[in-house]
Amino acid sequence: MAGIKALISLSFGGAVGLMFLMLGCALPQYNQYWPLFVLFFYILSPIPYCIARRLVDDTDATSNACKELAIFLTTGIVVSAFGLPIVFARAELIYWGACALVLTGNTVIFATILGFFLVFGSNDDFSWQQW
Amino acid sequence: MSGFLESLRCSECVDWGEKRNTIASIAAGVLFFTGWWIIIDAAVKYPEVEEFNHSYHACGVIATIAFLMINAVSNGQVRGDSYSEGCLGQTGARIWLFIGFMMAFGSLIASMWILFGGYVVKEKAVVYPGIAVFFQNAFIFFGGLVFKFGRTEDLWQ
Repeated sequence: MAGIKALISLSFGGAVGLMFLMLGCALPQYNQYWPLFVLFFYILSPIPYCIARRLVDDTDATSNACKELAIFLTTGIVVSAFGLPIVFARAELIYWGACALVLTGNTVIFATILGFFLVFGSNDDFSWQQW
Repeated sequence: MSGFLESLRCSECVDWGEKRNTIASIAAGVLFFTGWWIIIDAAVKYPEVEEFNHSYHACGVIATIAFLMINAVSNGQVRGDSYSEGCLGQTGARIWLFIGFMMAFGSLIASMWILFGGYVVKEKAVVYPGIAVFFQNAFIFFGGLVFKFGRTEDLWQ
């Protein structure tokens, strides 16, 4: 039951984040849909860590080089998701207000993804390992 | 009021020893990709060759290759206490690391040269691309150092 509650609150977080992103795009005074490209970063961000977890058998070692490389790449994707709207705003494709809304959405979405991994990454009854 | 801060314990609630590699990886990732986004920003703002010569991008590319070379060999291989010999063994790892660090320092020096020789001394109207090149290379260099030396290999065993 705890898993269901966490799942519902996390999906609420994801919806709020996407709402901020769409606000940055679709408000009548902004009306530029360039920030939607950060959706690619949202989709790509969990991939390195999932690959590393599949590749490495979880023995007693607390860490290993493959997982650290995955964390490095994930950090890069997250930084890119923050960098892209800032560059859009500096290139005057979008307004700074839209950029701020997209950055807020980024923060919420990545917190949601992190929460997903923290909640469902460790326990055994309802986890990624079964997939 | 005295002794107010003594009850504050920060280092005990989180075990930093086990998290060290994770934190170093995150810090290195932030530094490396921030560097690249700085140069993307400069390239977007100043697309003209007169303001931002496109050949200056080579500096960041060399720094990135150096980053990959430095982090491709582990400290254990250089010290010679790894399990497998590899293709050239300890000597090969040392030469590889030496060339990698040489490229890293070279790109850092070259970026300073670009900033001063290409922008400051010539008194160009727009200095920002030169500063961007310098900061890009500095961020990539320090990102490489953090990724190489911030992590400890004791956690891998």
